[in-house]
Amino acid sequence: MPNIGDLAGHLIGLLGDLIGSSSARLGPAGIGTILLVLFLLLALLARPVTRWTTRDLGRLATLRRSLAIAAEAGAGAAVSLGTAGVGRSVNAMGRLQTLAALPLLDHVAHLAARSAVPLEVTTNDPVTAYLADSLVAAAHVRTETTERASRSHVTYVGEGRATEAARALAGGGGAGRVTTGPGATQATSHVLGSMGEEGMLLMLGSAAGQASTTFGSADVSQAPSVLLLGEGTLVGPELFEAASDLRPGEARAGVLAANRLIWVAVLVLVLGSILQLLGWADIAGFLVGRA
Amino acid sequence: MRRSIAAALTALAGLVVLVDLAIANPALSGFAGWLNQLLVLLAAGAGVAGALMLVVRHVARLARREDQLGSVAVLLGIGLVLLPGLAPGSTGADAPAVRWVVAALLAPLIAAVLALLFPLMLVAAARGLRIRPRETALMLTAAAAVLILLLPIGGQVGSWLTATAAWVRDVPIAAVFRGLLIGVAATGALTAARILLGSDASYD
Repeated sequence: MPNIGDLAGHLIGLLGDLIGSSSARLGPAGIGTILLVLFLLLALLARPVTRWTTRDLGRLATLRRSLAIAAEAGAGAAVSLGTAGVGRSVNAMGRLQTLAALPLLDHVAHLAARSAVPLEVTTNDPVTAYLADSLVAAAHVRTETTERASRSHVTYVGEGRATEAARALAGGGGAGRVTTGPGATQATSHVLGSMGEEGMLLMLGSAAGQASTTFGSADVSQAPSVLLLGEGTLVGPELFEAASDLRPGEARAGVLAANRLIWVAVLVLVLGSILQLLGWADIAGFLVGRA
Repeated sequence: MRRSIAAALTALAGLVVLVDLAIANPALSGFAGWLNQLLVLLAAGAGVAGALMLVVRHVARLARREDQLGSVAVLLGIGLVLLPGLAPGSTGADAPAVRWVVAALLAPLIAAVLALLFPLMLVAAARGLRIRPRETALMLTAAAAVLILLLPIGGQVGSWLTATAAWVRDVPIAAVFRGLLIGVAATGALTAARILLGSDASYD
């Protein structure tokens, strides 16, 4: 019977053999030159002007302005975390979408706390409600606005996917409570997370009377609803990507630069393949020294 | 420090369950099973707490005379499900009275909410045309084309329409869906890794 120690020893030995049987093809100078070229390319592609500029997925970058307007209008912001939850009996991808929506809620809560905009978060899962409540409270602590925390609420709306949609359609959540001005008050509404067939009802209800909307779901079947109803949209993988785009720092700049390098590499591969196929240049022969 | 402990616990729990999937070991299996039971217990506790919170909130709203109709409806609904299930001699969630409440009240209510999908889809299309005219027009044109292809028409024209509809479903639509699914799977795996490694906080 194989044991883990033998397996690990075998793998380490294999790795050692691989390294031992390798040698530097170009020597230190050649390798250094290639690394230098790569570094220069990186510096060129990730210019300081564009280093911190990324896509505005879901129009989340404009949220700051929307919330400032909402604060002036005396309105608020509403976030629904989809209808899957974390502790409910749903598939893993649904739960993962709820977890992916939490950093986005963190972003909205942070900006809302700073702008003195009351936030209403709704969910149909008590575990998610607890997580959301922690995030909202943490946002107020972080922005040193704990005196405003009581104006924001996290509401567990009850069990079931249809419950959340019915609540949104009835206007019992964000639209009813946080818009304190006339019907067309400036406010923001967000539905982020997994949704089923009730997704369109939920988003439509959440969009009523709101000035700015961001809807996102990685459920492929709900992509048309998201695209139809949301001003800012996070369709499919974008729901997972958005959190990374919101996070400032060197890591993001590195990822952006690496992504651009990958695109350049793909472009070179495609162009090279076309030239090779057309017979205009023997790139493969040039690169590997074979005719 | 608190965040590090939480992140470490998250990573540990996730890795134990993940390793249990790959390696058969009685001790590891027992530990992973215990973690799963803990999760079920946590979810159950949170469920009870959530229901209590719901009751407290709506009772408070009644006391403040805010949206009384809505709060009465919620409390009445909770009572209608809870009382037959908790009544002496009842078998709980399987009790005939509870099943009747679900079949006669909850299911029709949910069906009624979902029945709104068709008329509200037209409202959604109108909203889409207002906020994103070009893209929505393209989407609606494509939807109309698919509807025409699926019309129940006989003869040579009908056969051609059916074949075209099948091609549209199997090639362009399937390609878009698969592309999205691949993207969702890849980014989902990355997100899961980020959560396991505790690197998903945006402001801390």
